Order: sequence, then C-alpha cells, then structure tokens
Amino acid sequence: MEGQRKGSFNVMEESEGNGKGWRGSVVRTCDLVLRLLAFLLTLVAAVVIGADKQTATVPIKLVESMPPLYVPVAAKWHYLSAFVYFVGANAMACAYATLSLLLSIGNRRKWMETVITVLDTLMVALLFSSNGAAIAVGLLGLQGNSHVHWNKVCNMFGKFCDQVAASLFISLLGSITFLLLLLLPQLFRLKQTT
Amino acid sequence: MASTDIEYKSSSTPPPPAGVDYFKVHVILRFLLLAASVVALGVIVSSDQTELVLFQGTLVPQPAKFQHSPAFVYFVAAFSVSGLYALVSALASIAVIQQPEFKLKFLLNFIFWDTLILGIIASATGAAGTVAYIGLKGNSHVGWIKVCNVYDKFCRHLAGSIAVALFGSIITVLLIWLSAFTIYSRVPK
Repeated sequence: MEGQRKGSFNVMEESEGNGKGWRGSVVRTCDLVLRLLAFLLTLVAAVVIGADKQTATVPIKLVESMPPLYVPVAAKWHYLSAFVYFVGANAMACAYATLSLLLSIGNRRKWMETVITVLDTLMVALLFSSNGAAIAVGLLGLQGNSHVHWNKVCNMFGKFCDQVAASLFISLLGSITFLLLLLLPQLFRLKQTT
Repeated sequence: MASTDIEYKSSSTPPPPAGVDYFKVHVILRFLLLAASVVALGVIVSSDQTELVLFQGTLVPQPAKFQHSPAFVYFVAAFSVSGLYALVSALASIAVIQQPEFKLKFLLNFIFWDTLILGIIASATGAAGTVAYIGLKGNSHVGWIKVCNVYDKFCRHLAGSIAVALFGSIITVLLIWLSAFTIYSRVPK
C-alpha cells in the first residue's frame, strides 16, 4: 500500500520541492506581478483624488440694485465623506499590497498563505464597496437628484469631476487586480491536484 | 477502500487527498445569503413614503421612492442577482453532496462566482449606504439638504435594508474563505 501510494503521487511529488517546478514558478511570478500592479493602481488612485482641488467664483446676488458679489468657492475631496472612505480604502489596500509583496518575495509557508487569502478577500470587499460609494456620489454630483433637490456640481467644477472620474476608473482596475489575485492561486492549486 | 484500490491498479489520475468536507456548511451559508438578499429586497421595495412638503409656498405631497436614486436601483438589481445566484448555488451544493465526484469542479466554479458576487454586492452596499448617509446628514459644502427628518419611514427602511446587505456581504466573504480553505486542504503538501 505504501509503495502504491508513493507511486501514484509520483507526478505531483516531482513537481513539488522548494520551488514546485516550473508551474510553481509561473504561479509565483504571476502572483508577484499582480501584487505590484495592485500596489501601483491603488496608490495612483489615492494620490490622484487626494491632490484634487478646484476653486471657482460664484456670483451671488444679495440685493437687486447692487452688482452681484463674486464669492470664491472651493471643491476639495474631503468635503464628501464617500471620497474620504475611498481614499482610506485605497490607502489600506496599497499598504496591504506592499506588505504581502514583501512577504511573498520570500518563501511562503502554509499558514502565511491562509492569512494572505483571508486578507485578500477582505481587501476585495473593501475596495469594491469604496468604489461603489465613490461612483454613487460622483453620479450625484454629475446629475444631481431633482426629487430631493440636490443640485449637480460638476457644471461648475469640471476639472475636479474629471480627476475624480479618472481616479475611480483606476481604482476599479485595482479592484479587478485584487479579484484576480484572489482567484488565480486557487485555479493553479486546483490544476495541481487534477 | 475498494474503490481506491481499483483506481490505483488502473493507474488513472490519482484521487486527491480526502481533504475536509464542508459542503453542508456551504448549503447553510448559501441559504442564509438567499434569505439576506430576499429580506434586503423586500425591505427596500416596500419603503415608499409620501409626505406634505412646503414647496414654493404651498404644501405639496411629495413621494420618496427607491427608484428616485440610481444607487438604490443598482442595489435592488444587485441583490436580485445575488438572491438568484444563492438559490442556484445552494441547489448545486445539495446536488454535489449527493454525487461527490463533481466536488473539485464545483469548488472552482463556486470560488469564481462567489468572488464576482462579492464584488457586486459590496459595491451595491457601498453605493446605497453612501447615498442614504447623505440623505441622513446632508452635506453643507455642496448644498445637499438632509431628507431623513421628513421621510422617516423611508430612511428606516433604507437603514434596515443596508444592514441586512452588509450581513449578506459578510456571508459571501465567509463562503469564499470556506472554498479557499477546502482547496488548500486538498493540495498534497
């Protein structure tokens, strides 16, 4: 029984060992590349929206006879709590990507892989929820909501809205990268067993 | 173990190690996800409220419905998809318990679709949550007034629905952890 068991698992044992053969190294490079990409994308998304500020002058008519007063109004990203959540989530995802990148460059032990998978799913959930929140608020700023009389702001603050839109798109790419990071190791691991 | 002896003798693909078998937990969690999706949908769809509001000098009845905001419409769509997926995958898990030879294929499918559904559900929760938060607190910087002081039943329904949606997202995260742990335990180390 012992000899038979060893014989049947021979194929897999050859591909195991320290580097797990060529397939293991493909998985590892894929993983490292995806983590680096995720780090870059979330960093860029957080920075692009964090450096977003625009000032516009708004004419306000106080009294009919006098000419309108021009008041400078600023649009900053931290005026909306959804964008604060967005920046926080992207910063956390960026920090996690760095940490797991450093951990993965060394050799990964089994308990580390479970912890990384656990944290990966949490990061996917966090990033997608922050994307949804920021996109909803961005849409509100773009279109307004006539039913509750919330006016749109993107007609005044065009550059601000454009930068937010770019940052949202990059963060969406970053979320998809985290999603791939979660799926690809499982796919390769299942291919190893069959 | 007669079946495994026969497999070794015929030298076909060797069976993976037995691993831990948690498909019963899969079934329970998926039915929980179905329940959460259905409850979230029911609560938000029944949230219509009409109030008398002072508008341009006269009191006019103004309704508040979930269709008024695209974020809530996306929320309803996302949780309909999630409820349907939870039902289909719960039935699939029950089928796999009866016929265990499809376990690996199903595990791969489960983890893939679970992750997609997590993305959809989490973004729907975030979107609905943020619009409801602005409705609750308002935003003075952009001049968006709060509405929850007027539409209290509407806001209560929204809050309940979003809380249940958050619970559904946590269930989906647990499902992904379960599938990943099952896959890990099957890899020979």
